Amino acid sequence: MLRHLRIQTALVLGLAFAGCASLPDKTVRFQGLSDCPAQTPATLLAQQQEFGPGSSTHMLQCALTVARESSDPALRRSALPSRLALHLAERNANTPQKEALANEGVSLAEQALAQGGGSDGAVHYYLAANLGLAIHDHPLQAADNLSRLEQELQKAMQISPALDGGGPLRLLGMLYLKAPPWPTGIGDGDKALDLLKQATEKYPAHPLNHLFYAQALWEVDEQGVLAKSVLATGREKLKTGPWGYNRAIWNQEFSNVAKELGASAS
Amino acid sequence: MKAHVLMKLRDTAVLLALLASLPANAAPTPIVVCYPGGPVSEAEANTAMAAMLRVVERVGEWPANSFSSFFTAKVDECRNLLKRQNPTFAITSLGVFLEHRDALHLVPLVQPRMKGATSERFRMVAQKGKFSSLDSLKGKSVGGTVFEEPEFIRKIVFSDKYDPQTFFALKPSRQAIRALRSLDKGELDAVLLSGQQYAALDSLQLKTPLATVFTSADIPLMGMVGNNQISTAEERGRMAKALQGTCSDSEGKKLCDLFGIEAFVPANAVAIEPAITLWKQGK
Repeated sequence: MLRHLRIQTALVLGLAFAGCASLPDKTVRFQGLSDCPAQTPATLLAQQQEFGPGSSTHMLQCALTVARESSDPALRRSALPSRLALHLAERNANTPQKEALANEGVSLAEQALAQGGGSDGAVHYYLAANLGLAIHDHPLQAADNLSRLEQELQKAMQISPALDGGGPLRLLGMLYLKAPPWPTGIGDGDKALDLLKQATEKYPAHPLNHLFYAQALWEVDEQGVLAKSVLATGREKLKTGPWGYNRAIWNQEFSNVAKELGASAS
Repeated sequence: MKAHVLMKLRDTAVLLALLASLPANAAPTPIVVCYPGGPVSEAEANTAMAAMLRVVERVGEWPANSFSSFFTAKVDECRNLLKRQNPTFAITSLGVFLEHRDALHLVPLVQPRMKGATSERFRMVAQKGKFSSLDSLKGKSVGGTVFEEPEFIRKIVFSDKYDPQTFFALKPSRQAIRALRSLDKGELDAVLLSGQQYAALDSLQLKTPLATVFTSADIPLMGMVGNNQISTAEERGRMAKALQGTCSDSEGKKLCDLFGIEAFVPANAVAIEPAITLWKQGK
């Protein structure tokens, strides 16, 4: 039995993947949006680069509300609505609301695919990122969605590898790190190390690339010294980059990994 | 008035004492999980184990959180955990069970059944045509995740005829797939595989054909064990029954499927006995 327990690590795909029809659909309603700026689908799309970790929650809620109510084909087949949902989900400390927003992000990306957005790597990427967040605390759902996550992230990597600071490389690497390994699953420590090393080399500005690579170095090969060094590099990137609301959340993740390395690495 | 206050205080004390004795206030029963060669992240493994324990609790009709897991992938830490926690139940490899059976009064409760069997055969594989027997691998580089428990491999898999730590140049690996890739590239001379790993070889699409150099006797798969000095037969029976029902539960089935487990079945003492004898006989 124990030889097969490793699969459970896969069940703990905590950091980022998932989505499926069986996930609960409870739309989060926002309050106090009477002072939202006048926005249309066209202005949202024109301003989409402005939405990110540094955007105010109010700004994101206003934008997502417009997206929810829109039937504009260009907006519906874009990755923007799913990305807005992800930004809001990431910063929401209320777990049911976080999951509901992430599930909505999955649904919005699926709608984008249905509208012909499949050639946009961002649609696949944000579908996977939202899915991961939605199943963070639901290991059985995580296990059900591993293949889908892999497929979406592979597509995102083929089409838009540079997206979100090497996001497709980063998440696919993390998927291979956390998924059940052969012979029971798609997990593969060597693939994880390769992808995450690439992510740190090609997109060094993103702190999570370093965080995840440090985790892989430790979990796959117990390279504690190198992992600590990579983690320190990531922390520096976190201090200086435009990470807005995500800075505090990611800082906690860095602390968690540092604690594990400190407790275990020689 | 004064007497009334004193009575109230006394009643409160009695109530507190009663509450303290209620099972709901008891700490969860620890279940030590030793998985030599498994994942390094114990926090994550414990999170995953928690999901499994919630299913077992539900199937066995225990209150939620009656059990908590203590996971380790390191053999030394496993020894410490077993000593420190003195668990009523543990999920162990066969090697861990055999090593601690006497000291901790362990008895097997259930075994997993996989592909119709509750036993497996270990196999040593090498590139086709390069080696013909274990003897021909003397001093050669040999890998595999199973070498995390070299004493188990020596005493049980090799029936005490070969000591892997001296006979081979051991190259242990936490990843079976990495060891097989190294074998494929000629960086390793041979890899020792568990039954499940061997059965999945075709899925790897290796470039070099492999051949089996050695096949072990049937070796029982191990599941959950119990300490028969600190648990009653009824408690052990309840746990065994809960596990036997796990793979038929809707959520439990998903977990079982993931592990490739068809069912948990009552441990077959007769089938396990030869391993116990071999372990005792091993020098």
